[in-house]
Amino acid sequence: MQTPDTGRRYGEVFDRGYQHYDGQRLGRRHAIAALVLYSMKRAVGIKKGIGSKVIPILLYIGVAIPVVVSIGVRAFVPNADLLGYPNLFGIVFVIEGIFIATIAPEMLCGDRRENVLPLYFSRAITRADYLLAKLLATGLLALTISLVPALIMWLGLQLLATRPLLAMRDNSGDLGDVLVAGTMYALFLGAIGLLISSLTGRKSIAVGIIILGFGISEGLAATLTAVLDDDQPLRRFVLFISPSTTSAALIGRLFNERIVDSDVGLGWILAVMLGIVLLCWGVMYWRYVPND
Amino acid sequence: MIGGLASHELLDPVRDTAAAATPVVETRSLIKRYKGVVALDRLDLVVPRSSVGLLGANGAGKTTLLRLLLGLTTATSGSAQVLGFDTAVDGVRIRERVGYMPESDTLPPGVTAADFVAHMAEMSGLPARAARQRAADVLYQVGLDEERYRLIKGFSTGMKQRVKLAQAIVHDPDLVFLDEPTNGMDPQGRDEMLALIDRIHRHLGIAVVVSSHILEDIERVCQHVVILDGGRLVASQPIADLGDVNGDLLVRVDGDVAAFAARLVALGLQVKPATGEVGRGELVVRADGDFVYDAIRDTAADLGLPLRSLRTRSRSLEDVYFGNVATDDPTASPLQVDHANT
Repeated sequence: MQTPDTGRRYGEVFDRGYQHYDGQRLGRRHAIAALVLYSMKRAVGIKKGIGSKVIPILLYIGVAIPVVVSIGVRAFVPNADLLGYPNLFGIVFVIEGIFIATIAPEMLCGDRRENVLPLYFSRAITRADYLLAKLLATGLLALTISLVPALIMWLGLQLLATRPLLAMRDNSGDLGDVLVAGTMYALFLGAIGLLISSLTGRKSIAVGIIILGFGISEGLAATLTAVLDDDQPLRRFVLFISPSTTSAALIGRLFNERIVDSDVGLGWILAVMLGIVLLCWGVMYWRYVPND
Repeated sequence: MIGGLASHELLDPVRDTAAAATPVVETRSLIKRYKGVVALDRLDLVVPRSSVGLLGANGAGKTTLLRLLLGLTTATSGSAQVLGFDTAVDGVRIRERVGYMPESDTLPPGVTAADFVAHMAEMSGLPARAARQRAADVLYQVGLDEERYRLIKGFSTGMKQRVKLAQAIVHDPDLVFLDEPTNGMDPQGRDEMLALIDRIHRHLGIAVVVSSHILEDIERVCQHVVILDGGRLVASQPIADLGDVNGDLLVRVDGDVAAFAARLVALGLQVKPATGEVGRGELVVRADGDFVYDAIRDTAADLGLPLRSLRTRSRSLEDVYFGNVATDDPTASPLQVDHANT
C-alpha cells in the first residue's frame, strides 16, 4: 500500500500461508548431531523445570571444588601436593557414577516410556544412528565430569609453575594419562549406564540398578579378592567384576600407584573396558533392532 | 479455528505437473510374515500421487504396510518403492522425503509443541534456524499458533493429534502417511482433522495416504481408495468411480415384503434386503435394465402391495468394502461405518 502524498510503501500484509521449503537439507549426519545436542540438553535439565537441573548442578559443583581447592592451595603453597591425579579420579569416579545414573536413564527411558521411538525411527536416521547419538551424547556429557576438571587441574598446575611452558612440556605425560583416564571413564561408565537404561522404560528403576549395581559389584569383587588365594590364577581378574575396581585399576596403572590388589597390565585393562563398551553397544543394538 | 487458510494457496505447480503422473508407492508381490502369520500376502499395489485412503479392519495389514513403506521393517519377499526409492535399501532417503503420523500417542509430555516439532524438523535434516521457523509456521497451519509454547502434557487429544500432524509435515515432505489420524477424537475435532488432511493435499500439494478403519473418513478426504483384507489387496480404485459401477434400486413396499421379494426372484431379478442404516427395511434390486422397473411395478400391483418408494442407489465405499471383504454380517466386522455424518 502507498501513502497518497509520497507514494512510498508504509505498510505490508504478511502472508502466513503455507510455504514449501526450498532450503538446505543436511541429511543424516545433521540429524544425528541434532539428536546428540537435544539429548544432552534434556539430560542436564535445559528447557526443563528447576528440579531437573539440581542434581547435575550439584555434581558439577562437587567435581569443581577439589580442583579449585587444589589449584588454590598450590597458588599459595607452591610445594603443596594436596590432591594427586589418582585421588582426583577417585573422587571423579563417585561423582561420575551418580552423574551417569542421572543422565543415562534420561537418554533412553523417556523415549521408550513415552513411545517417541516411532517418530524418531520415521526420520532420516537408522536405529543404529539413534543409539550412536545417545552414546555420543552420554559420552560427551560424561567427559565434562571425568575429563574437563582433570584437564583444568593439569593446566592450572602448569600455569602456577615458575616456567609454565617448560612445565607443560615436562608434564605432557600426565596430560596423556589424564586424557586416557577421563575418556575411558566416560566411555566405560556411559556405556554401562546406557545398557541398563535400555532394559527398562522407568527412569527410577534404571537409576536404582545403576547405583546398586556399582555398589554390589564392588563389594563382590572385594569379597572374592579376599577369599581367593594369591596363587589362584583367576584372582588377578576378579577386579573386572566391578566397574569401580576396573576403573581404579586403570588409574593405578596409568599413574603408577597400587590402588587395587591385582597385577593385571594396562593393556588388559584397556582391552576389557573397550570390550565391555562394545558388548554394551551390541546388546543395546539387539534391543533396538526390529524384532521380526 | 483450523489455521490460517489463505485463499491463494494452490498446488505447487512443479509438484503438480512434473510428478503427478508418477505413483508415490509401488509394490510387487510384497509378502510379510510374522512368525507364521501372513500380514501382507502378495501385494501388488500402485498408489497414485493423490489423497489415498488405506482401508481395512484392524489386523488387515495397514500398519504393517506403512512400516514397510517407511523402511522400518523388511519384506519377507517381494519389493516396494516409495517416491522411486527401494524400501529395502533406501530407507533413510525415503524418510527424508516422507512424513509419518503414527496411530498411537507418541509425544513427549514434558516438551513444548514448538520445541518438539522443531526438533523433529532437524531430525529430518533441516538446519536449526529453518527448523524453528518451519515449526512455528506449521503449528500455525494446524491451528496451534497460540498454544505452541505450552507443554504437550497439557494438550487435549485433538491438540496432540495436531502436533503429530505438524511434525509429519514440518520438513515439507512429498508424501505423508497418516495412521488412523482421527483416532480418539470427538466429532468436532474429527471434522477439523479431516479438513486439515484435505487441505494438506488440495492446498499444500502433498500426497497423502490415510490409513483408517473408518469408511466415512476415507470417503470425505480421499480421491482414491485401497482396501486390504487379511493382508490381501481387495480393491484399489478412484472413489469417484464408485458411483458409476451400477445403480441398484431401493424398493420399499408395505405388507408382505417376503412374498414380494420371492416373486421378483422368480422373475429372475437379483434381490436382497438392504443392510446398514441407509435403506433399512428396503429391498435392494439389481437394475439390469428398464424391464426391472416394469417388473417391480407389476409385481406390486399383482400382489396388491402399496409401492411406497422406488429410488436408485449409488454404490458407496461401504458397498465396495463389504462386496470385497469376506463377511456376511457387516456389523460383525471391526471396520467402522459412521452414518452419523452421512
